[in-house]
This record gives sequence, C-alpha cells and structure tokens, in this order.
Amino acid sequence: MPHDELRESVPALTFPRQAFVSLLVFAAVWETLSHLAPYLGIPPFAIPSFVRIAQSLADITPIDIAVTLARVIAALLASFVLGVSLAMAMYRSDSLDKYLHPMIRILMAVPVVSWILFAVLWFPGVEFRICFVLVVVCGPVFLVDTLDAMRGVPRELRTMMQSFRPTTPQYFIKLMLPAIVPTIFTSWKVNISLAIRVVTIAELVGAVTGIGHQLSVAEELFSVADVFAWTLVLVVLLFLLEAMVARVEVRMLRWRT
Amino acid sequence: MSGPPPIEVRGLRKVFRQATSGQAVVAIDRLDLTIAPREVVAIVGQTGCGKSTFFDLMIGLEAPSEGTLRIGDKSPHANFDHFRGRIATVFQQDRLLPWRSALDNAKLPLELIGLPEAEQRDRTLTWLKRLGLGQFTNAFPHELSGGMRQRVAIARAFSVQPDILLADEAFGHLDEVTAAELRETFLALARECGSTAILITHQLEEAIGVGDRIVVFGKSAKLLADIHVAQWPKSKHALLREAIQSTLQSDKPDPRLGRLKKSRATPNARRAATGRRKTTT
Repeated sequence: MPHDELRESVPALTFPRQAFVSLLVFAAVWETLSHLAPYLGIPPFAIPSFVRIAQSLADITPIDIAVTLARVIAALLASFVLGVSLAMAMYRSDSLDKYLHPMIRILMAVPVVSWILFAVLWFPGVEFRICFVLVVVCGPVFLVDTLDAMRGVPRELRTMMQSFRPTTPQYFIKLMLPAIVPTIFTSWKVNISLAIRVVTIAELVGAVTGIGHQLSVAEELFSVADVFAWTLVLVVLLFLLEAMVARVEVRMLRWRT
Repeated sequence: MSGPPPIEVRGLRKVFRQATSGQAVVAIDRLDLTIAPREVVAIVGQTGCGKSTFFDLMIGLEAPSEGTLRIGDKSPHANFDHFRGRIATVFQQDRLLPWRSALDNAKLPLELIGLPEAEQRDRTLTWLKRLGLGQFTNAFPHELSGGMRQRVAIARAFSVQPDILLADEAFGHLDEVTAAELRETFLALARECGSTAILITHQLEEAIGVGDRIVVFGKSAKLLADIHVAQWPKSKHALLREAIQSTLQSDKPDPRLGRLKKSRATPNARRAATGRRKTTT
C-alpha cells in the first residue's frame, strides 16, 4: 500500500499506545530503581519514588509558573516583532541585508551561556537581563526564517502582484505576510521550545522568581524530587504552548486542507 | 468615459547583462509598433524571441534600455502608479494566491485601488458569475480545476475594467476545448469592456482566431510581419498560417504576407476607437 494511502487510512485521533507503553516502562524502571537504590549504593535522594515526586508537585507554586510564562511570552512577542520588522527591512534593502546578515550569523553562533554572562555583567535589572537573553537568542531565529520565507515566495506570485501595482504596504500585507505565515508558525514552535530552555537557564543564574530559580533552590536542597516536578511542569508548559500555536495554525492555514 | 490611450513603441531596445558571464544579451532590438485603442493584437514568435520581455516592459516591471514605450503620454515604467487599475494581466499559469478564495482572488486588484468593500464584492461576483463560477466563489484554488482557476484569473483581470489587457500564453497550458472556450470568452469580454488587448502566444491558431492584428516577432523582437487579419478572408486562414509558420522558421518575412508596412491601426480598431466604451457594471 502506498505511504499516502496508509496515512490517510489512519484516523486523526488514536490512542498513542506506543508512547503510553514507553512511558509506563520508564516509570516502572524508575520506581523499581528508587526502591532498590539503597541496595545498589545509590544515595536515597537521587532516585525519589513517585509518591515523593507527587508531594513535590503538590508544593509547586503557581506564581513561579506564571512569572516564567509571562517572561517567555513577552520576550517571544518582542523577538517576533523585532525579527519580522528587521527581516522586512532587509528584504527591501540589499545594502542593509549585506551589513546586517554577517552580524546576525555571529549573534546566532554565540552560546546562550555567554549571553547570560553578558547580561549579568551589563544590566542591573533582572527582568531586563532575562528579556535581553531571550530576545537575542530568539529574535535572530524569527529574522532568518522570515527573510528566507520572503525570498522563497514564488517569483510568479511576486510578478503577478507587482503587475497590479500595489503600494509597498499593500505588497507586504496582501502577498508577503500571508505567504510566510506557514514559516512563521514553524518558527514560533521552534522558538517556544528554545525560549523555555533559555529562560530556565537565565532564571537559574540571575533570578529570584520563576521556574529556573525554583530549580536552583531544589539543587541547593539536593531535592531530585523537586527538580523532577519542576521539569515536568516545564515540559507540560512547552506542550501546552505548542498545542495552542498548533490550534491557531490549523485555523489560519485551513486553506491548505 | 474616454477610451484607452494608444500604445506607441519607438526604437525600443532592451539589453540584459548575464549574471555569470557579464555578457550583454539583446532581448529587444529597436522595435517600432503602434497599437490603436481597443485593438486586439496577437504577438507571435518563437521561444526566446523577446515576447515575454516585451510583456514585462508593457506591464512596466522593466525599464527600456533605449527608446520609448508610451501608453498615451505616459511610460508604464516611469509612471508606474498612474497605471494602477488601468493595466491588467492574465498569465500563463493562473497565479492565484492559494490562501484566498476565488472571490478574494478576483477582487485583489479592486482592493489595491481602494474601492469600497461592497462595490468590490458586487463587481467581483458579477465577473465570476459571467465566467460561470457563481457556485465556486468560496472555493480555494486547489479545489478548482485548471480551467476554473484560469477563469478566476480572467475575472481578476477584468474586474478592474482595465484600459489595457495583457495575456501571456494565457490559454496555452489548457486542453484545446477549454482553451478555445476561454479564448472566445476573453475576446468577447475584452471587446465589451472596450479594452485594448495584447495577447502573447506561440499558437498560430490562437493568434489568427483572436487578433485584429498579428505581429510576428523574429529574433530580438525584430518585427517580421504586421498582419491585419480582416484583410485575410477565412478561406485563406490556412495559407496565412503557413506563411506565418514559414516566417518564424526562416526568421525572414514570407513574401505571401506582403511587404511590411509601417505599423498602424486596423480599420476595425479605428472604428472601435471612435465608438463609446461599454461598461459592464
């Protein structure tokens, strides 16, 4: 049977049996190890049981989740506006592109840890430091993806549009922006995952609130159960944000189905 | 309403420089051509003869290297914005925006000229219905057949009721039955709108069937023949076809086409130019 037909024959919503089995196996191995730890010479705190992890989950402070979420969303929005605006300007101006492109590539090559250290050394405010790190990491991704997508708009469509003589804003609003929407959604999904990871590291180093800070506290207390619980929260947060973006994507790109 | 302005091409030359070798390529070499208001002109020529470059110059997307191309007293390139809503194009592929419905695609030029939303909708619906797409106004391009998509593209071009209609191999990729039907519709609508129509084609049957005039381009858009179709009775269309074919193959005017006269409007077009322009909405 051809692959396409096979894919079409699978219902849209099925029970993820394989995923469920693998998670169950992981949980069973973890729980067994947590009980066997004393006999294996592993410190008891290293592999906490699920009961202990559940206790840590119950102690999760929602304010820290809200703070991290707010930081991620605000920084992503700022990165998006900045990245897309710069990409449009670079698309319009070859010379601007030639000046900025090498700089963007260099920015993208700088490790996240270096940005965090720069932020700590340069800026006194915690919120500004975190926002700076997130924008400097996520902004270039939006920029490069948007620029590539605009350059990928078929020449036939660009010529058609130009033949009807749009103004520059009309050209971007009626052609370029709708044409790059699929890439923008992909970029958002990539950046959400990136931002969640980066914000955690940034909070770990320089914040007194947020999930990263709570992870730092857990580390100081040698509480693997707390680290596990907060990590679980981060993963769920990432999945929820991705699901939200996917939902909006389906609505906005319904012309593709 | 005044009719469309005449098109005057004098000493038109377009030279491109190849990106890799830097070598100059002459796409159009000193073309002289006059097209009268409301005339339907078919331009034929072999691949690479400069037809599409001429098309781009007519749209105004390219600037002439030398010479002039004027529509009325204005250049479509230098006075680009002046021709917003006055020139419309139908391309070889439909070039519909995949994220827009048929209705939204067809009303695109009206959005660009800033007509009120209700008028955009009414006018576009009228054209889509006239082109047999009344039931498919909300369909996306991928839900339509090739012929239907091309009809939407035609509706998009006619919706602004342009002075100049340009069609570049607009029916060449369709099956012969659909192409013939669309060709007739296009021609009837162009005449009804009172637009000047320029069709670029490599299909001689199409050129003979549609054009008041057939302009034959040789290499670098050298004007090989300028034929007034009305002077050829239907019984001699096969001969005309042969003569154009021979002209294209030899890149020299076939003697059967007669001596090439200085480009001028056909008697039909002159009559049409003095008549009132019809409106459809």
